[in-house]
Amino acid sequence: MSNFLATSDLSSYLPIFLVTLMAAGFAIANFFITMILGPKRDGKVKGETYESGMVPMGTARKRFNVRFYLIAMVFLVFDVEIIFLYPWATTFPNLAHGDSNAIIWLSRIFFFLLTTVVAYVYGYRKGVFKFD
Amino acid sequence: MGFMMTLSTILATLASPIAALAQSEAAHAASQEAGHAAEHVAHAAEKIEAIAAPGVGPMWLLLIPVLPLVGFVLSALCAAFRVKSKLPAWLTVLCLGASFAVTLGMYLQVSSGQIANPSVATGFEWIKVAWGAGDAHSIIANFGLYIDSLTCLWMLFVTGLATLIGLYASEYMAGDVGAGYCRFYAAFNLFVFSMSCLVMGDNLLLLYLGWEGVGLCSYLLIGYFYKKPSAVEAGKKAFIVNRIGDLGLALGLMLTAVHFGSIEYSVIFAKAQPYLAALSEGRLGDIPAVVQLIPVLLMIGAFGKSAQLPLYVWLPDAMEGPTPVSALIHAATMVTAGVYLVARAYPLFLLSETALPIVAWTGALTALLAATIGMAQFDIKRIMAYSTVSQLGYMFAGLGVLTSTGAAFHVFTHAFFKAMLFLSCGAVMHGFAGQLDLRKLSGVGSMPGWRVVGIAMLVGCLNLAGFPVITSGYWSKDMILGGAFANPHMVAIGWILLITAGLTAYYTFRVYFRVFVGPKYFEPGDEVHGHAGDDHGHDHGHDHAHADHGDRGHGHDAHAHFHPHAPGWAINTVLAILAVAAFAVIGLRFVGGHEGWVSGLIEHSSANYGGHAMYAAAASHGGEHAHATFFGYDAHQAMMYVSGVVGFIGIAVAFVLHYAGRTTAAKSRADALLPLVGPLAKWAQGKWYVDELYNAIIRVPLLVAAHVFHLIDKAIVDGIVDLFGWVPKFTGSSLRPSQSGVLHGYALSMAGGLAVLVLIVVMVMR
Amino acid sequence: MMDRLAYLWPEIALFIAACVVMVVGISPSVATRKFAAVVAGLGVVAAGILAWTTTPSGNAVTASSGQVLLPGLALYAKVGIAIVALLLLLLKPGTVDRAEEAAIALGVQKFDALRTNRAEFFSFFLFSVMGLMLVAGADDLIWLFLALELTSLPTYIMVAISGGAGREPAARAQEASVKYFFLGALGAAVFLYGFAMLYGATGSTNLNAIHLSLTTGGVSGLALAGLLMSVLGICFKIAAVPMHFYTPDVYQGASPSVAGFLAFVPKTAGFLSLLLLASAVGWTWAPGENGLTVSGGGTSLPEPLRILFWVIAALTMTIGNVLALQQKSVRRILAYSSIAHSGYMLVGLIAGPGDGSFTKNGVAAVLFYLFCYGVMNVGTFAVLSGLERKTRDGQMSEIDSIEDIRGLCATHPRLGWPMAICSLSLLGFPPLLGFWAKLPLFTSAISAGEIILVIVLGLNSAIAAFYYLRLFGAVFLEKPEAGAGEVTASPFVSRRVAAMVSAALVVALVVVVGQLTDASRKAAAPKAEPAASATIPASMNH
Repeated sequence: MSNFLATSDLSSYLPIFLVTLMAAGFAIANFFITMILGPKRDGKVKGETYESGMVPMGTARKRFNVRFYLIAMVFLVFDVEIIFLYPWATTFPNLAHGDSNAIIWLSRIFFFLLTTVVAYVYGYRKGVFKFD
Repeated sequence: MGFMMTLSTILATLASPIAALAQSEAAHAASQEAGHAAEHVAHAAEKIEAIAAPGVGPMWLLLIPVLPLVGFVLSALCAAFRVKSKLPAWLTVLCLGASFAVTLGMYLQVSSGQIANPSVATGFEWIKVAWGAGDAHSIIANFGLYIDSLTCLWMLFVTGLATLIGLYASEYMAGDVGAGYCRFYAAFNLFVFSMSCLVMGDNLLLLYLGWEGVGLCSYLLIGYFYKKPSAVEAGKKAFIVNRIGDLGLALGLMLTAVHFGSIEYSVIFAKAQPYLAALSEGRLGDIPAVVQLIPVLLMIGAFGKSAQLPLYVWLPDAMEGPTPVSALIHAATMVTAGVYLVARAYPLFLLSETALPIVAWTGALTALLAATIGMAQFDIKRIMAYSTVSQLGYMFAGLGVLTSTGAAFHVFTHAFFKAMLFLSCGAVMHGFAGQLDLRKLSGVGSMPGWRVVGIAMLVGCLNLAGFPVITSGYWSKDMILGGAFANPHMVAIGWILLITAGLTAYYTFRVYFRVFVGPKYFEPGDEVHGHAGDDHGHDHGHDHAHADHGDRGHGHDAHAHFHPHAPGWAINTVLAILAVAAFAVIGLRFVGGHEGWVSGLIEHSSANYGGHAMYAAAASHGGEHAHATFFGYDAHQAMMYVSGVVGFIGIAVAFVLHYAGRTTAAKSRADALLPLVGPLAKWAQGKWYVDELYNAIIRVPLLVAAHVFHLIDKAIVDGIVDLFGWVPKFTGSSLRPSQSGVLHGYALSMAGGLAVLVLIVVMVMR
Repeated sequence: MMDRLAYLWPEIALFIAACVVMVVGISPSVATRKFAAVVAGLGVVAAGILAWTTTPSGNAVTASSGQVLLPGLALYAKVGIAIVALLLLLLKPGTVDRAEEAAIALGVQKFDALRTNRAEFFSFFLFSVMGLMLVAGADDLIWLFLALELTSLPTYIMVAISGGAGREPAARAQEASVKYFFLGALGAAVFLYGFAMLYGATGSTNLNAIHLSLTTGGVSGLALAGLLMSVLGICFKIAAVPMHFYTPDVYQGASPSVAGFLAFVPKTAGFLSLLLLASAVGWTWAPGENGLTVSGGGTSLPEPLRILFWVIAALTMTIGNVLALQQKSVRRILAYSSIAHSGYMLVGLIAGPGDGSFTKNGVAAVLFYLFCYGVMNVGTFAVLSGLERKTRDGQMSEIDSIEDIRGLCATHPRLGWPMAICSLSLLGFPPLLGFWAKLPLFTSAISAGEIILVIVLGLNSAIAAFYYLRLFGAVFLEKPEAGAGEVTASPFVSRRVAAMVSAALVVALVVVVGQLTDASRKAAAPKAEPAASATIPASMNH
């Protein structure tokens, strides 16, 4: 019971440590290299915010209508759920072929879709899709 | 038809001893007719049989304790919803009546053999403590009922009387409707529940639960008039004195658990079997001292609850409670719990050489002492209280002299007639505004509307005095006296009890002749509702300013135009039922077993088990005189006459001293005798100053010690304790800054704590 | 795969109820909206009944998911959870949307689905309870992690929206929620890290496989590090040192109805997962190749883990009790008491299952304690949520200060008595439920030979008496404050009912303590040891 942490199996993690070290080293090295090599110029235009080529107006700390967030979140939810359907759709024919449990495999994904419907109804009732 | 049969049986029973007495001394021992002696010898020869392993009782038996519990819940709900009617009374009568009906069903099934005797009905597993594998390493206490004929006997009068007294109280407590009425009935029901747990429980712990439960209810109901200081004091006194007894019971319980490894009756009895066998074969040395100690400890508990020397002092004061409570709890049922305990644990008591003689002597001395005090009191309810103590002494003496049948029969008859006596006194108190002084009441029985009370009182007094042949009290008392004289070691106790029987008859009829017959006269008490007044202030130096009111029914200065109100239908009905019942139970003497119905029940219960082994042991010790005689006559038969005569003399003396020639309420011929007995009467009236004695030898030293300890506690112990209390507080206040409420501070502390803990583990492991 | 479904009927019931609540709760009709709480209650009842009837017990499930480590756990835990959850649900009506509903009833304001929180509140309640039940049935580290997070995530939101309409309470609730969320994330990261290391060490996420690997192959350093990290991370859920800092702030900031929820649901989830982890490594663990010794004859934890639990238990109960002493806020007192109770329960965990009889079985003691703690704790929080006073901006808010509960037995007996009974029970006052719960902790620790820990436990119980008796004295002995009229009973009757029911249970369950302890003993029974021919996963190759 002398050195229970110093067992050999940590050595199998050595490559990960190496990669981590290399990544950190690369970042730090770049940082210093640009500090040494890069040209340093300063000016009014350079200090301005870059907004896809538009002329920046007002402050960036601006309030947006909360509905944008709601839409974004609803989009995210449905998007993720659709992504779930892809792997299912590709594997289902192979899984279900000749399997007596096929109907169960199918009903599971319908149950999953049902929850999506509940989420939709919830969002609709909550007024997410209303703009006024 | 039934009555005629009973009568003919009485005559036959009376005839047989007459025949026996006519025979010669030598002949009677061999005579088949003499019965009892021969039977005892026959029993002694029998091998001790094991108590049957209990059968399984049906679950509906659980209704018996559950129904009063329902009544309690309903009454408590009535209290919670501030019910201002007599609803709780009717709910109570309904629940208790149903419980009585179930009890009756239980009795019928047990006696017909449909329920095994004994049997156990287990409701649910209540407590199970195990500290290892096997039976020896666990204590099991189920909520289970032990059903045998002893249980049936006790539950019949507990539930039956509770129903009747609940009905009586509906009228008696009417003045408190909307105030304490619901509280009264809640405690009343809780009492019946606790009592049924006590009597029916199949283990000592459930008995203990019931024991404490009835103690609690007793405390609550004695202190029912909690605004009256004397009631509060009496409640506390009852509770504290009972604590002493309960300590004994608790120790006995623990010792039983330690020695027998169980607290269930069936197991204890089975494990006591080898000891009983040793006893019957005279091998007393084989019984360990621990086993002999258990009954002594249980006995202390029994003495506390059943008001025996030296713990009897609480019972007379307990009369501060409402009269129905006095009747039910402090006369008929709760105070017999001690008798029940001894009867239930009788096989254990037999194992001790000392326990039963102590029981017998304590009972006899208590009976005599209480009777002498009762003779000198003036408060009729208090007289009844002392007579209860005295009669309980009889019961214990009965157990001690090995006639458990006599004791149980006396419990049964006493329950009826004493309840009736109390209820009659209660009716008087209710009607005369709390007046209980027998010098201020006279001729009550002949006042209009008081006929039923007068008759009930007469019936009760005849029973208590043991008026020959026609009263049940005579038959049960006779059985105990006979048992005492029949036991060769207990003849002295027989004499004490016989003297007490005479005194009992005297003081009982002193009450009757003073209060219920004679010239009509009364002074009302000073209370609006009838409840117990502490009349000691009136006992001394009463000058009769209000000499002659006759039967006009008013005239007291302070209570101008006072009209006594005669009892209503509920009180009269209950009294009538009880009066009939007190006679009817005589019949029980002549049906059933060889000494009547009760003996039939007792013989098939633990209370008789092995009783004859003791006779066998006594026979082997004391030579051939296994069955003693009363001046050469068979003790049982002789007592039928002697005790009757003694009772009759007592009544006659009371008649001469307190009725004949009495023209006023306050004075009688007895007053002329006072100078003859010197200070004895005064001492008896002062209750032999036992309370004062206890005060001097127990309470005062305790108070002094308390003050001394208080000073030590204050100066030294408190200082140390304060120091200990200060340490956590100091630690707390020094740790408090860590709870700064700042988020990143918390996160940092968590990470730091995590690191420290891992470090600790690493350090320790190295 | 199908056999796993047999474990999940209660959760499915809760999930369906949550879906229904989410839609019903945002209905424009008041009656329908109010029905949401009823649906939630029906869902919990259905889950409880399903747990009782459908949960397989014993070693029934063996087919493909492998054996479960504590086969009896799911049945006991899920039924117990359903019972306490039902009590907790009684506290919930009126916690959110109170001001809005009042304004709508007056006609001042129209119903706006976006501004109400009722649907989310009740469905999150159900989701959290569902997560807790999933923890009880977990047989895999990933399942366990997801279930733990499903338990916790809804609670962050519930704390945030429980503040009510008053400006000050709402701000405090939001602050509490943010703290709770960030620190919770930290805790989750720690135990997830631990889980990952366990997987790295044993090559499996299945608890049974981990158990086989650790018992046959010995506990490697990596596995031990993983276990330590997992335990430390889960300490956040059970509010144990060093992850306890958030507790008082969050319990005080959240409304008492939610704080009561926090004191039971995440804590139970944490303890159940600690039980699963410990049973995977300990108790039937035999000496391994790394020379780890076992104390107490093969039924104890590996020494490093035991030391960790020991230190955490001792520190947790001491710090919890000591800091509770000087609080004036009842909510903070209860928060610290909740920390201390976690410390008590860890003692049972250290004691281990002993020889299986109840008095020596620390695992059964923990399971029994969790249930009892749930019942008595609901009572105290129900009393707090059953009383309210006006805040500065005129809204009603639940009380907090100990001054506000003075003389409660006289002024509001239906709340005062439950408070008195439950605080005595939390103290462990015989013969109330808390006493019977604490007793086996002592006996099991003594039989396991942890005498010093028992002494610490005893001392702490004595320290705890200070503040529990202070609560008891405040409601029972002291006279009401002069301005006691400001404190009024909450208009939501169900909270009062919850207080009275839990106080009644604290008294009444004493009668059936025998059955309850027996049930918990059965729940703590380990799986039947695999036959000699059981194959060991190929990945265990070190």
